[in-house]
Amino acid sequence: MQVLGPGDLHREVLETGLCVGCGACIHLCPYFHTWQGKTAMVFSCNRQKGRCHAFCPKTEVDLDALSRLAGLGEYSGDPLGAYQQIFAARAGDAAVRGDFQDGGTVSALIGYALETGRIDAAVLTGKKGLMPEPALVTRVRDVAGYAGSGYAAAPTLAALNQGVNQGYQQMGVVGTPCQMTAVALMRENPMADENFSDPVALTIGLFCTWALDARGLMAFMEKRLPGEEIRKIRIPPPPAEILVAETRNHAVEIALDEIRDLVLQGCGLCPDMTAEWADVSVGAMEQNPGYNTLVVRTEKGRQLTADAAAAGYLEVWDLPQSGRGCLERAAAVKKRRAFGRAVETGRVNSEKIGPAVLRVNARALEKMTAGPGGAHE
Amino acid sequence: MNELTEGRPGQRLLMMGNQAIARGALEAGVSVAAGYPGTPSSEIIENLAGVAAAAGIYVEWSVNEKVAAEVAAAASFAGLRSLCVMKQNGVNVASDFLLHLAGGGTRGGMVLVPCDDPGALSSINEGESRHFARLLEIPLLEPGDFQEAKDMIKWAFELSEQIGNLVMVRSVTRLSHASGNVELGPMPDFRPKARFRHTGFILDPRQGAVSSAPVAYKHDLQQQKLEKAQDAFENALFNTYTGPENPELLVITASACNLYCREAIEILGLSDRAGLLKLATTWPLPNNLVGRYLEKTGRVLIVEEVIPFLEENIKILAAELALEIGAKTIHAKRDKTLPSVGEMHPDHVIAALAKIFDLSYEAVSADYTEKAGLCVLAGAPGRDLTFCPGCPHRASYWILHNVLALDNREGFVCGDIGCYSLGMRETGYFSLKTMHAMGSGTGLASGFGKLGPFGMDQSIVAVSGDSTFFHAVMPALVNAVHYNADITLVVFDNSGTAMTGFQPHPGLETDAMGQSAPAVDIEAVCRALGAQTTVCDPFEMDQTRDILLEKVSGKNGVQVVIMRRACALSPARRGRPEYEMYLDPQICIGENCGCNKLCTRVFKCPGLNWDDQNRCARIDEVICAGCGVCASVCPAGAITRKKRT
Ligand SMILES: Cc1cc2nc3c(=O)[nH]c(=O)nc-3n(C[C@H](O)[C@H](O)[C@H](O)COP(=O)(O)OP(=O)(O)OC[C@H]3O[C@@H](n4cnc5c(N)ncnc54)[C@H](O)[C@@H]3O)c2cc1C
Ligand code: SF4
Ligand code: SF4
Ligand code: SF4
Ligand code: SF4
Repeated sequence: MQVLGPGDLHREVLETGLCVGCGACIHLCPYFHTWQGKTAMVFSCNRQKGRCHAFCPKTEVDLDALSRLAGLGEYSGDPLGAYQQIFAARAGDAAVRGDFQDGGTVSALIGYALETGRIDAAVLTGKKGLMPEPALVTRVRDVAGYAGSGYAAAPTLAALNQGVNQGYQQMGVVGTPCQMTAVALMRENPMADENFSDPVALTIGLFCTWALDARGLMAFMEKRLPGEEIRKIRIPPPPAEILVAETRNHAVEIALDEIRDLVLQGCGLCPDMTAEWADVSVGAMEQNPGYNTLVVRTEKGRQLTADAAAAGYLEVWDLPQSGRGCLERAAAVKKRRAFGRAVETGRVNSEKIGPAVLRVNARALEKMTAGPGGAHE
Repeated sequence: MNELTEGRPGQRLLMMGNQAIARGALEAGVSVAAGYPGTPSSEIIENLAGVAAAAGIYVEWSVNEKVAAEVAAAASFAGLRSLCVMKQNGVNVASDFLLHLAGGGTRGGMVLVPCDDPGALSSINEGESRHFARLLEIPLLEPGDFQEAKDMIKWAFELSEQIGNLVMVRSVTRLSHASGNVELGPMPDFRPKARFRHTGFILDPRQGAVSSAPVAYKHDLQQQKLEKAQDAFENALFNTYTGPENPELLVITASACNLYCREAIEILGLSDRAGLLKLATTWPLPNNLVGRYLEKTGRVLIVEEVIPFLEENIKILAAELALEIGAKTIHAKRDKTLPSVGEMHPDHVIAALAKIFDLSYEAVSADYTEKAGLCVLAGAPGRDLTFCPGCPHRASYWILHNVLALDNREGFVCGDIGCYSLGMRETGYFSLKTMHAMGSGTGLASGFGKLGPFGMDQSIVAVSGDSTFFHAVMPALVNAVHYNADITLVVFDNSGTAMTGFQPHPGLETDAMGQSAPAVDIEAVCRALGAQTTVCDPFEMDQTRDILLEKVSGKNGVQVVIMRRACALSPARRGRPEYEMYLDPQICIGENCGCNKLCTRVFKCPGLNWDDQNRCARIDEVICAGCGVCASVCPAGAITRKKRT
């Protein structure tokens, strides 16, 4: 994957509106900053090559290279990526209770990893009102305070870079698929820095179909529910096609069509629904509110899941075959859409680097684009 | 000893034009002088303020030019002689009052001295004040050298009293700021008592009320005054002619251009072919005098700065007299013989004369521009204008730039003139996007702040200096508050401890004459006007940035942020660095990813240099003012500061 400079990043990702505000370019230097969900380059840096460009998941993503980095060889194009096991799961009795988004699997696993010293800090995302705020958490009892997800894009990885600056060496990171992609790129040491050591010991990916523009969401809610504090945002499984905003005393249903415009443009070119480059990936469980779908991918992820379950931090069950089918279909649709758009706009395996160029072998591409909604439609 | 008051009559002194004007006012027995600072006019008030106590006069830096005119007029109404001083565009500010003043007339002699800035050497306009003389229908005098600068002021006071109206004496940069020999005259020993007489018949010009109404009556009176002045102009000794009895060409000029014309005629050896009529009384023109000289020749060249004022008036006169004196060929600006922008220059006059007389004289060699360009490139390093080391404006603009970038809505800054105008350039990180008259930044912001319903979602910031705040920002701020415009006004308050040595303004505890005065508190004013007001220190960069971010991004009407920090050149800070600075080359990231010379390439305080050999930044101890700010700019913590005791 070729590395260019901040000027290229600014031109190709920020100015084109493809930035998903992941935070990977923040706290590396004085030039990139994030504020209220938006990433800004405050001055131009003039370097021809930089970590900002190298870490950004929206410059170019070479799926074969990422796959090889994960020790998997050529990218398969399978809807859920490579994995070992899939479970239905939720937080166990030993885990600290919180206002979980779904089953609390994420909080439970992070809490357990901190408790057992597998990680020295956790990179999480909290909220101030509806505005997501990254956080570096080191105490188990604080983890539950970050439970719940907001569906607004968050600069989570700014906290990871801050952790690096503060000297943490085994961080656990919770994030969306694009953020997991950025973390994989970071861990590759793309700038060939002599003093580099991998600061990440655990990655927990969240399922994601799209994320919303944080400022847009705040403005929308302020208009829709003026002055009200929104405590939680849920998206019930299809075919509901609604978003539920919960305030202190009522729940308001909002048609997804109303907020479609707030979906980040960059999400439309993201082929990953299940965070394929994480140790484990966690999402909602369509048929079962209050539970999670847990995809275990790496050996590290398998060990963690098994140990956490044994210690009572996690409850796991085999996922019924029907659930797996639903998930695969949804993930395949996201791939087909993203690659369809990418092919249309000349982004797949293009000669040029960025923005949002996807590189992948022909076989996987064929697999991902075949079927309704894809380029071969 | 101050030679301004103590120089003996008959003594010859080398004097700056502005000093000569001040001395002229003293010799005329001026009692009150008021003005607003602005190059090239400031030294007149400064000089008078310096001798105020010794001379027993009252001098003030007024809040703005209109008030300065009013303060001076009050003295005139009370029978005293008064002087009012400003730069060219100040007359625009004062003009509303001046129009009414000229309509109603004056009592004690009152002289208005605007100093124009042809070529805009220290301005962002080269507007002319001469046109105001015509607009206001008052006499206009233009001194042609330094002696005249003094003597004509005295004469202007006499004329003002003779006709009962305001007289304008116009200076220009090259007269105000250059120096020449001046022979002093006697100082008066009589000072009238101030009394405003208002109990007489309402239309009595010396005992009644003062007003420009009833307009038709007073306007007629005013024009009679002007005719009286015109009569006096016919015999004025300041209008001079040098040259042959019947010249081939009559050069007519005024003001500093007189010196350029003399030089050009001499260099070309044309003194027996061209005659020079130097006019000191340029409005209204002394018709008979000018007609007499026009009659002597068929060709005329008019030399003046900047736009054709003299030219138009002479052409009107020439047309009126055409039957008697014959048609004239008049060369000037309208036929492009001379440029009508920028300063006049002996070379321009030489070129014009050479063309008219068909001489092959090259005032400037053809490749001059090219050669000069090469010299500049080879000789001097390319330098942009920059804020001083330790200047609070650099820190303020750094914060503003960062805030607007983070806010990320293409926000912008509206400003006006002052040191902080440099915000339009690199040293202010190109933050300033509009720059007009004093106070216009806030007025424009107030307007931008109401465009939300038309889809405007950019952040709007206005900046103002502390002196500008009092001058013209306050009404604009009232407007913005009253109409609830969504704007942030940032006041660069660099006065805090800047006492004398700086021109004082109402925010300070000292007045122009060095007396203590009650200070008007900007913060209290803003609060009283109903704006949410916060005081910040621009040197506390992170904290101030966060405060400003909240203000700029919120939509809650008018927010005022006062950036309070004394100017680096203020007596309180000058030569007294607050911190000892240290830059650790081991920690400095230099050009690598993570910094790339932020301090020397972007922040650009002149106190920081790039060490090409060791590839790291370093502090230039001679230039560094020890403000400590760069310690918060460096991302690596390579720059540290230690408080000096
Ligand atoms: C933008 C977004 C879109 C999502 N879309 C889907 C989807 O389409 N289908 C699906 O099944 N699941 C989706 N999820 C995941 C789902 O909302 C839950 O996060 C997941 O099921 C884990 O639930 P939990 O109860 O274990 O989480 P909890 O134990 O409540 O923990 C939630 C964790 O999410 C992290 N987090 C919160 N907000 C963000 C954010 N904005 N960005 C990154 N991390 C955050 C917090 O650090 C916290 O650790 C999405 C999540 C996000 C953030
Ligand atoms: S190249 Fe390095 S220093 Fe420059 S903007 Fe990117 S991350 Fe920052
Ligand atoms: S997508 Fe992430 S890394 Fe790329 S520009 Fe946006 S915030 Fe920075
Ligand atoms: S900002 Fe700091 S790290 Fe960067 S060049 Fe200057 S001193 Fe070095
Ligand atoms: S301390 Fe730093 S910012 Fe201040 S004058 Fe010195 S070099 Fe410039």
